[in-house]
Amino acid sequence: MNGHLSLADRLKNRVVENPDLSFAVLLAVIVYGYFAATNDLFMTHNTTFAIMERFAVLGLVALALTLCIIAGEIDLSIGSNAALTAVIVVRFNDQLGTFTALAIGLVVSTTIGVIQGYFVAYLRVRAIVLTVGTLMLLRGVALFVAQEKTVMLTEFDVPDFIQTKMLAYFSPASFLVIAVFILVGIFMAYTKYGREIYAVGGARKEALAAGVNLKRPMIIVFSISGFCAGLGGAIIGLRSGTAQALGLQYLLLAGTVAAFIGGVSILGGKGGVIGAAIGTLTVNFLNTGLVFNVTPAYQVQLYLGILLIIVIMFQTGSRIFDARQRRKAVLAAVDERKVALLTKKRQVLAT
Amino acid sequence: MDTILKLTGISRSFGAIAALDGVDFEIGRGEVMGLVGENGAGKSTLVKIISGFDDGYTGTYEFEGHPTRFHSPGVAEQAGIAIAQQELSLIPAMSVAENVFLAGHNVQAVATKRSLAARARRFLDEVGLTDIDATVRVDRLSIGEQHLVEVARLIAHDPKVLILDEPTAALGESDSIRILNMVKKLAAAGKSIIYVSHRLDEIFKITDRITVLRDGESQRPRKAAELNVNSLVELMLGRKLENMFPERAARDRRDLLLSVRDLWPDGMLESVSFDVYGGEILGLAGQLGSGTGEILAAMAGSHRTRSGMIDFGGETFLPRNPAAAIRRKLGYCSDDRKYDGLFLGRPIRENLTSPALESVSRFGWNFGGREQQVAYDLAEKFTVDVSRLSAEAGVLSGGNQQKVALGKWLSISPKVILVNEPTRGVDVGAKAEIYQKMRNLADEGAAIVFASTDMQEITYLPDRVITFYRGMQIGGFELAGITTAGILKDITDPFNETNL
Amino acid sequence: MEMLAQFGRSLVPPRLAAWVDRQASPIVFALVTLFVIVLLLGAVTTDNFLTIFNLKTIIRDAALVGIMGIGLTFVTLSGNFFLLSMKETAALCIITFAMGMSHGYGFELSLLATLIVAVVAGGVQGLLIGLGGNPIVVTLGAAGMFYGIASWWSDNLVISFRRPNDAEWLGTGSFLGLPNITVAFILIAVVAEIVLRYTDFGRKVYLIGANRAAARATGHENLPMAIKVCIIASVCAGFVAVAFAAQISSAQANYFSSEFGSSGDMTILVIATVMVGGNSIMGGYGSTLRTSLGAIFISVIDNMMVLRGFNSGPRVLAVGLMIVFSIVVFSLARRGSRAQE
Repeated sequence: MNGHLSLADRLKNRVVENPDLSFAVLLAVIVYGYFAATNDLFMTHNTTFAIMERFAVLGLVALALTLCIIAGEIDLSIGSNAALTAVIVVRFNDQLGTFTALAIGLVVSTTIGVIQGYFVAYLRVRAIVLTVGTLMLLRGVALFVAQEKTVMLTEFDVPDFIQTKMLAYFSPASFLVIAVFILVGIFMAYTKYGREIYAVGGARKEALAAGVNLKRPMIIVFSISGFCAGLGGAIIGLRSGTAQALGLQYLLLAGTVAAFIGGVSILGGKGGVIGAAIGTLTVNFLNTGLVFNVTPAYQVQLYLGILLIIVIMFQTGSRIFDARQRRKAVLAAVDERKVALLTKKRQVLAT
Repeated sequence: MDTILKLTGISRSFGAIAALDGVDFEIGRGEVMGLVGENGAGKSTLVKIISGFDDGYTGTYEFEGHPTRFHSPGVAEQAGIAIAQQELSLIPAMSVAENVFLAGHNVQAVATKRSLAARARRFLDEVGLTDIDATVRVDRLSIGEQHLVEVARLIAHDPKVLILDEPTAALGESDSIRILNMVKKLAAAGKSIIYVSHRLDEIFKITDRITVLRDGESQRPRKAAELNVNSLVELMLGRKLENMFPERAARDRRDLLLSVRDLWPDGMLESVSFDVYGGEILGLAGQLGSGTGEILAAMAGSHRTRSGMIDFGGETFLPRNPAAAIRRKLGYCSDDRKYDGLFLGRPIRENLTSPALESVSRFGWNFGGREQQVAYDLAEKFTVDVSRLSAEAGVLSGGNQQKVALGKWLSISPKVILVNEPTRGVDVGAKAEIYQKMRNLADEGAAIVFASTDMQEITYLPDRVITFYRGMQIGGFELAGITTAGILKDITDPFNETNL
Repeated sequence: MEMLAQFGRSLVPPRLAAWVDRQASPIVFALVTLFVIVLLLGAVTTDNFLTIFNLKTIIRDAALVGIMGIGLTFVTLSGNFFLLSMKETAALCIITFAMGMSHGYGFELSLLATLIVAVVAGGVQGLLIGLGGNPIVVTLGAAGMFYGIASWWSDNLVISFRRPNDAEWLGTGSFLGLPNITVAFILIAVVAEIVLRYTDFGRKVYLIGANRAAARATGHENLPMAIKVCIIASVCAGFVAVAFAAQISSAQANYFSSEFGSSGDMTILVIATVMVGGNSIMGGYGSTLRTSLGAIFISVIDNMMVLRGFNSGPRVLAVGLMIVFSIVVFSLARRGSRAQE
């Protein structure tokens, strides 16, 4: 191994090796910095707490979408799944107690994920196509369970609990979500199941040729997606005390933007849990900052769109740069061989 | 010798075409058996049967003395038979070690990149990758090293029989040597290796015995020491040469049609220049990696080029994309018709007219009548069954598919047709037909430039041959001066580096 | 099972039958035939379903989503996937149109302005996609921007224009007993199908979608095609926007965001009509006729549920179920036929 590299050098290597992640961090810092500089109220403890609360829900969705996109698919039904769980948890909270309702909701949402993953693998249908249908199907189920109404809580012990401030910035909800992030992160980076997911996403043909069975990674990814959707929906439902069957659709767009900011590639096989977290934070900074500036909701979408375009332009540019470097390397290698062989050729043909 | 694998009387047909007819094959423990044969001789069919990808055959398959039949490659792998295909199945973004342990049975569930690298060390050493950092992304390695990693993955499953299908086809010299060394090591460790290759010099370097396949039939295996290149080639080609190829006679040099001037496609070591005359069939001879395919693609605007021009039709230009070449009546067929030579899901009729939509439509409107007529004529010209023009191109046999892929260029009334591997994956009967069509086209005044690694084809079809070796233009032959031996020398060892 | 399959086989157009025939199990045919039987039973047993008025209603309800679906089909067939921004393009167009009308520019000028906006919106997306950008990401970003522009321009208010005005005929008039919007739907469906089948452009759409590499090798590049199909889809979205505004003589940026039709999210509905018809998401296979049928099919399901007195919950459920069902069926069929290769 090389001699001891200084911390600065190692950091530099890290940045160069992970351009997308580094850009995500840069973006997060810029967005935060902008709002902190232009608004006195932004850099307060309360604001950070609010951001972390937002993070709890959007983070789960971004995490789920990140995993799906890494696997080369996407789950368009995530919003509907979350709404369904929200409705289940809120509706049955009073009758069955929070924990039972929560358990039911999570079991339902995860099972939905398992089924979708199985179909994607077995039918060889693209998830984007299947989830167009399930998005609507789940909305119908949610409407049915909610009986067309907006369901509301009457007892607020647990909801209040999950929102209690801990350590100034966190709450039981956000702690739970952070724990999920850590667990999933370890899973993706250090287990063979996680590697399979990266493999079928980034190089599906090769992975299948090498003998990877598509069913396992698909079921794993979509059940995690279902679980995260369910948990996110439950948290929102309990926090706000209400749930609407047709709500939470914005989560899909915001979650996708967060995932892309965090460095996933639509081609699959790239990205990670850390990126998902950073992407979510960036979107949260933007959301919260804009709320502080009294920006109307529709403009928020505009800024999200712009943010997405910036990230895409960066990713495309980085890809073009990589391709150009590779071509240069190939040409250079050719030039090397050339010198050796051409001299030989001239020698031989001269005789 | 202890025979570990023995196939007797293997026959396999696809529809009416017999790919294998009563083939025998065997290999002993610790033996390196070369498997050679021309395109279409049946090598890949046989190899698929051995490795469990194909179980639709008749005949006996004995493994370690017991009759058996593998219904899937997974089962074959568990029994100890592994195959490294020509196309790599590595995940480019993952590390070497991660690729070695992809989809294995005995893989740890939880592991860091480093621990995987440590466990992979053993297998990487076995294939000769001793100084590779196993935590590095696999796409940073050279192609040769990547092929070695793929084999390392197979070794990790501890196979008894290893099949290597054209392992050095895309490799340069030093990487090829690494592969050969690895094969020697593995054989010494008791593994049996089936080495499928076109590179006869390599076959002689490492195999113990050689089995030749010819038109679906096998020869008895011969010791490598008892053969040389010429006798081997004779075994491979047999005596059917005369019937397959149309006559070529010395022709008066027609007009200069096209000049390639200092063309330098990416991947070539230096620029190339040559002329093409009307009415001739010009062959570019060279093995994979020699650059013949890249030259054709560059002429057609399908491959990145550093510099150079083409003089054609009164213009000096370089096509920037295929459309530009087509406009100037230059047609090009790549060596992979399934990838970009055919629209498999579309009707044959549409395939035939695809480069020349304007010629079958009036002011952009196409109600089918004119197209049907044009397609009919083209199909007749290339002896494709005219009653099935509405069928999808995907249902055709390999030979007929190739005819469609080639024939569609007639729709633009081309002056020059460029073809890479004109008869890849085509049965013998269709081959003869295609050769005749090519001759007919040339006789009508067009020029055909083709590249081929098929020794028969490159010797007996063209009027002229230009030879290439590892990205350099070497020399050329004409008419009666074209010999297999001459060509082989130029394309495998022009600088006298080994003694064959 | 076999009898069921045979019966079904005799009813469908030969191409479809041959196609379904090629897959290994008769399950698909049996499933489809079973489903058709259920559908017919439902049709016969639902009050007021089989009336001329109801059938006209079905087509009218399918019209707006169907027109957008037809536009989107061009994009899908050419292998350029989807535009996730059709809803937002419609929002931008409806605001443009309403702005024009409410400021007194009249129907023709407002329509022209809307057309220009649609062409630019589609063209830009098509350019980015043709240059290699991923359609999902590009159109997602574009969606956000279009909607933002539309809201900002209109201050998110409702823009209405006085009645009577010269746009009304489009939204409320009728021709030969059919509402104008239905006539437009039928016309557009017919024209689209003709273009796809009998023009060079249509052929190119199929070739580029079937095999982009082979299309390039035969001289057909995706860049101009992507631009053209995206413009087509955007213009369809614009047309729907204008028709909608003409119906109610007003517009707001979020008209298409909230409950559209009874089944919800418009982007999803439009994509669903394309998929339900059996068009392949990879391109090169399918037709706008299928999309039209898909739109009508969804409308039929919804209509039947309404007539039977179901609330929105079960209705959305039924439509969603049907979408998933048809996707599953087409995938099974395709999987089987692919196994033969």
